[in-house]
Amino acid sequence: MIKFFNVYKAYTPKAQVLKDVNLHIRPGEFVSVVGQSGSGKTTLVKVMIGEEKINEGKIVLGGWDITDIGWREVPYLRRQIGVIFQDFKLLPKKTLFENVAFALEVCGQPSKRIKDIIPRVMKIVGLEDKMHRYPHEVSGGEKQRAAIARALVHSPKVLLADEPTGNLDAINAGEIIDLLLHINKFGTTVVLVSHNKEIVNRLNKRVITLEDGSIVGDREKGRYML
Amino acid sequence: MFFLSLYRTIKFSLQDLTRNIWLSAVTIIILVLALFSINMLLLVKIIGDAAVGVIKEKIDISLYLKPEAEEKNIIALKAQIENLSEVKSVKYISKEDALEIFKQNNSDNPEVLQALRELGKNPLTPTLIIQPKNSDQIDNLTHEIDKIQNDIIDSKNFTDYKAVIGRINAVTDKVTKAGLLLSAIFIFITLMVIFNSIRVAIYTHNMEINIMRLVGSSNSFIYMPFLISGLLYALFGVVFIVLLFYPFLSLLQPYLEAFFVGYNINVVDYFNSHFYEIFGLEFLGIAAINILASWWATRRYTQA
Repeated sequence: MIKFFNVYKAYTPKAQVLKDVNLHIRPGEFVSVVGQSGSGKTTLVKVMIGEEKINEGKIVLGGWDITDIGWREVPYLRRQIGVIFQDFKLLPKKTLFENVAFALEVCGQPSKRIKDIIPRVMKIVGLEDKMHRYPHEVSGGEKQRAAIARALVHSPKVLLADEPTGNLDAINAGEIIDLLLHINKFGTTVVLVSHNKEIVNRLNKRVITLEDGSIVGDREKGRYML
Repeated sequence: MFFLSLYRTIKFSLQDLTRNIWLSAVTIIILVLALFSINMLLLVKIIGDAAVGVIKEKIDISLYLKPEAEEKNIIALKAQIENLSEVKSVKYISKEDALEIFKQNNSDNPEVLQALRELGKNPLTPTLIIQPKNSDQIDNLTHEIDKIQNDIIDSKNFTDYKAVIGRINAVTDKVTKAGLLLSAIFIFITLMVIFNSIRVAIYTHNMEINIMRLVGSSNSFIYMPFLISGLLYALFGVVFIVLLFYPFLSLLQPYLEAFFVGYNINVVDYFNSHFYEIFGLEFLGIAAINILASWWATRRYTQA
């Protein structure tokens, strides 16, 4: 599903963020990417969604070589990859329903289809009773569920979760991870970027460890070890 | 699909305008000022052309003949002048006709009429009034008429109309140049203001734009609302200038009628009959400027 071949990325000649990264994430896998701050985890996510371009190497996503992806093609890439972040990125003046609908509206989906899809997605994330509330009227965990719903509306092949539990308490964090596992069961490849030791250890799934931009560990049923 | 996208684009664009209502108002005011200066320029041109037209229509050469000149000699001289290539027409005013015209012109001046009665005879002379085919040929014509030697000619009156037209043209040229400079300044300010308005709108929508990018919105869907905002600014600007300029023209019209008495100069009619050319072109011009400024701002500030 996701293949990195000798990937290098530097923001400046002296700041090498990714160094000779090689990895292969198979379809339907649940992979955690761990590492300390500045190890290159977020850059790894950015190059996967076409937000940053790599300096060397090759990236293939679902058979699509996105190494030199053009700016016109980036929107089509992002419809195949759902992304969630620590800060949720919800629009405060829109309800949760409208926030999710926004993702479909801006991609030109008809209103009828939007009205059909959203209640179903909201049910998957457990927000069917709260979808007409505004972000400030729900908890952090519910905000993250709404963000996951928004990421899922395009039925992506891959879901990238960049520190999705960073702003949540342990209970809410656990619920979000359960939701990600649930989504993974339906066949969506999930890449979880996290430095939450307990969560990664609890998952007992594949763990890729990054250090100074290089992969220093890749274990099938790994644990958080730094 | 196309109409749905267009509808959503216009919806987002209108949200921009209303969420930044004061910024939108200032932008439209600057646009209206720019359009006002352009229309004033056009008005000066119309009035200048009208003034030149009035003077050109008045251009003639009066040939005063001796009172004792015989009718047949006068008719022969008239025919001779009519044969000149520069002449459009020659009007003969006999002594009697001249007296009638004089009396009519002074009908409200009893002292002059009394003096005329006391004189006991017609003091006026027969006249030939010569109109040129083209006002530009007036020099040639005066030269040709000057060459005519005929005993019945008493005097010739060549008013220097060319100098008058020259002066009017000089004034309208100066006003046009000043107006052009003013319009250019306003257009530049408009460009900057629109650029800034769109930039602020982009900052206001920064989070939305980021989310749009994140969820795979097409680039055109991100840019288009801002380009449409530029188009809407142009539309509102032109609508407001129409609403403002017509009352201004209506106020001006009586003064123009009083100034150009006897001539049909109607600026309201002119703007009515050229409505689509004037305001349509202004809309297209301002829309082009706005789209340029919006495109420039979006390219600069909405990059991924």
